[in-house]
Amino acid sequence: MTLEGRGLVCSYGPTRALDGVDIVAGGREIVAVVGPNGAGKTTLLRALSGERTPDRGEVLLDGSPVSGADPGWRGRVGLASHRTGLYRKLTVAENLNFFAALHAVHDARHTVARALETVGALALADTRVEALSRGQAQRVALARSLLHDPDILFLDEPFTGLDPAAAATLETTLRERRAAGGVIILVTHDLTRALGLADRVVALRRGHKVQDCEAGDATVADLLRHFTTPTPDPL
Amino acid sequence: MNEFRRAWLIALKDLRLEFRTGGRLLAMIAFVVLAGFLFAFALDRSAVAGRDVAAALTWLVILFASTAGAGRIFDAEEEEGAFRHLLLTPVSRSAIFVGKTAANLVVIWLVTALGFVALTAFLGVRDPGSLVAHTAVFLPGTIGLAATGTFFGRMSRHSTLGDTLLPVLTFPLLVPVIYFGATSTARVFLERPWTEISGSVRLLWAFAVGSVFIGAALFRHVTDE
Repeated sequence: MTLEGRGLVCSYGPTRALDGVDIVAGGREIVAVVGPNGAGKTTLLRALSGERTPDRGEVLLDGSPVSGADPGWRGRVGLASHRTGLYRKLTVAENLNFFAALHAVHDARHTVARALETVGALALADTRVEALSRGQAQRVALARSLLHDPDILFLDEPFTGLDPAAAATLETTLRERRAAGGVIILVTHDLTRALGLADRVVALRRGHKVQDCEAGDATVADLLRHFTTPTPDPL
Repeated sequence: MNEFRRAWLIALKDLRLEFRTGGRLLAMIAFVVLAGFLFAFALDRSAVAGRDVAAALTWLVILFASTAGAGRIFDAEEEEGAFRHLLLTPVSRSAIFVGKTAANLVVIWLVTALGFVALTAFLGVRDPGSLVAHTAVFLPGTIGLAATGTFFGRMSRHSTLGDTLLPVLTFPLLVPVIYFGATSTARVFLERPWTEISGSVRLLWAFAVGSVFIGAALFRHVTDE
């Protein structure tokens, strides 16, 4: 399985958030997308997931165009972001059961329990989200993103607010999903974690791709210069 | 799973949130009851009988309350970014619209029932006519209000003007609901025969069905980037 973004261009009014970005992510691969604020990382994620239709360019899965308008595509995508996307007045179980039902997950009750167990949040099932700590809510959000066993997982700063134990659980979960053949695209500011976890690193700067290499071929210092150099140097 | 079942799940979720949060519903109820209370003082009963103006005031109060409430339909969705995740499920935008409209409709029904009781009481309407006939008028009228409010409630989220845009967008469109709703309700108050009312009710149904179908068809344009 290969997910490919080709020539992606996205603008917000006069601001071009993505300017002709190409990206390829294969199965059994974690691709980390890094870059300073305003680089276009989240926009890239939105364009690839189908949340936002690019102004130009296309998203391909195994060579065939995919679109957010296609419910079949949306059913194959999982998303976890720094905003939990949970309903604060519902309990953890109510939140997950709701999303499981919308995804038509088979045996939802068992699947929800298993997802919560995976992220170490089973004991929180009957707790309202508003009573959870930031880290607990992040764990539940991750469980929600895995409920329907997505082929492609998009993670937008998922480590934000996680304590070390929860971050380790998340890393383990991502490695397991990679081993199972999933495509994982991870947006993060944490360069050390990006290099430790990802197979490949893509650096963006002002809507341009400025680096795309194996994680083993990059160093934190390499990546850090994209945050500090005054002008972008697009690939 | 069919889209009606998904719409039903969304409506149930919205109602659960509505009753647990309570803020929007309580504000709407307080508005209609207090508006009725103020109208009782604003009218000179020696010049105008409460029965003569009750229908118009009831519909206007329900319109204002539902419009004020429409601005907050998506509050829970935006609080932690849940709407983004809802849009990434395989549910069609039409089903999301229908589900959210259904939940909004239940809230408007509660507000309408209380508003009707409050206004008839405060305006001294002792014999308001057939409750079945009133229900037959309010049912299609409130469906039109709920669908229009849900659609434009979402649209106003994209505007920098926010909720202040809602009345500007919805009031001109809702003239048929207010006109046919208020004239029908007035005739029910006066216990006119159903044959004098049924034509307006059919037009209210046409508006209700049209607003639901058009809203469902166009909802993706106000949700997708």
